Parts: sequence; structure tokens; C-alpha cells
Amino acid sequence: MINPLRSEGEAFRFLLYVVAVVATVTVVVVLARAIL
Amino acid sequence: MEAAAVAHHDHHGPPEANRSSRVEPQLLGMLLFIISEIMIFGAFFTAYFFIRVVQAEEWPAAGTELPVAIAGINTAILLSSSVTLHWAESALKRDNRAGFRAGMLTTFLLGLAFLFIQVNEYVHIGFSPQDHAQGSIFYGLTGLHGAHVFIGLLLLGMVTIRAFRGHFSAQSHRGVEIPGIYWHFVDVMWIVVYSTIYIL
Repeated sequence: MINPLRSEGEAFRFLLYVVAVVATVTVVVVLARAIL
Repeated sequence: MEAAAVAHHDHHGPPEANRSSRVEPQLLGMLLFIISEIMIFGAFFTAYFFIRVVQAEEWPAAGTELPVAIAGINTAILLSSSVTLHWAESALKRDNRAGFRAGMLTTFLLGLAFLFIQVNEYVHIGFSPQDHAQGSIFYGLTGLHGAHVFIGLLLLGMVTIRAFRGHFSAQSHRGVEIPGIYWHFVDVMWIVVYSTIYIL
């Protein structure tokens, strides 16, 4: 993985990546709680 | 001998610091700072997961409610500030000074709005840090993050003032890039804080 702190652009792309991953995990956990 | 004497005469100030890393000193400093920040947040998250997972305490505490929707709007505001900051930086790289100034000002105002809404949330939330462990963790984590937003605003404020005074250019913008990395890090931490504290 490219160092996300190498530049402002890389840091911004890392932020978008984190948003996508955290949103996915959160949705999965919330759905699992609703089903189980 | 004469050339050395001329070179010595031209040099002013202390000798240049030894540089042992291939990474630029400014970037290396921010990298090490952010790593230490992650450790601080990690300590607070350890306390959070201890009371939620190990102690299996109710979250939030009985009789309390967290304003998930308002904090969600606040999250959108903070994420928008990262977008406008990236826009400002991109505009500067294209030598679009008006776009750079507008982007920096918008970023600063969005950050200020986030902090204002968070303080307003504290005023109306209905519990205090000393009421229960959940309250301590809530104020600890969100307060720690809020302190980071405040520091980020100071940095962005300086960049914004310098932007309106004609500083920075497409070739020289390290002073925008380093605070920008810090601000995106603050947003990354908020995404984690919001999802764990308010949603999960």
C-alpha cells in the first residue's frame, strides 16, 4: 500500500478508503444484529 | 581556498541539520506525529471496548440517548470539509488562486461548524462525564477528537490567512499539504469514532 501520508492527495484517497471500509463493516454488523 | 572563503562568507545562520531519512523532514515529522496520535486514540478506544466488551455494560448508559442523526449530519459536514480542502489544494496546483482561497475558507468554516455543533451537543446531551463510565468514555473520545479539530482549525486558519495574503503557489505549497494531511487524519479518526460510539 502506498504511504497515505505521502501527500495531501494520498491522505484524501486514504480517507475515502476508510469511509468505504467502515461503512461496509457498520452495515454488516447492523444487519447481522437485526437478523440474529 | 578562495572559493571556500566565499562559500563560508555566503552562509548565514546555524549549520544545516543532519538528514538521515529519504523522507522530507516536514513529512517525516507529521508521519511520526500522526503515529503517536493513533496510539493516543488507541488508548481511549481500549477503555471504550473494555467497558462495552469486557464489562458488557449497556451502551449508551440506561436512560440516556445519543443524538445519532445530528452527529450524522456533523459527520457529513466534516467529510465535506475534507473534500473542499482537497479541492483547494488541487486548485492551487493549477494556479487557480480564487479556487484555492474559496476552498480554504469553506474548509475552515465547515470545520468551525462541526466544532460548534459538537459543543451544542454537549450542552443538550443530558449527562456529564462523571455520571457513569459510558459518559466518561463518550466525552473522552469525542472531546479528544474535538481537541484535534480545534488544533486543525488553528492550522487551517493560518493557511487561510496566508492564502488571502498571496502566499503559496503551484510550485511551493508544502505549507498547505502538511496541515491537509493532518486534517484528513482528523476526519479518518472521526469516521471510526462516530461509527463505534454512535452507531455500533
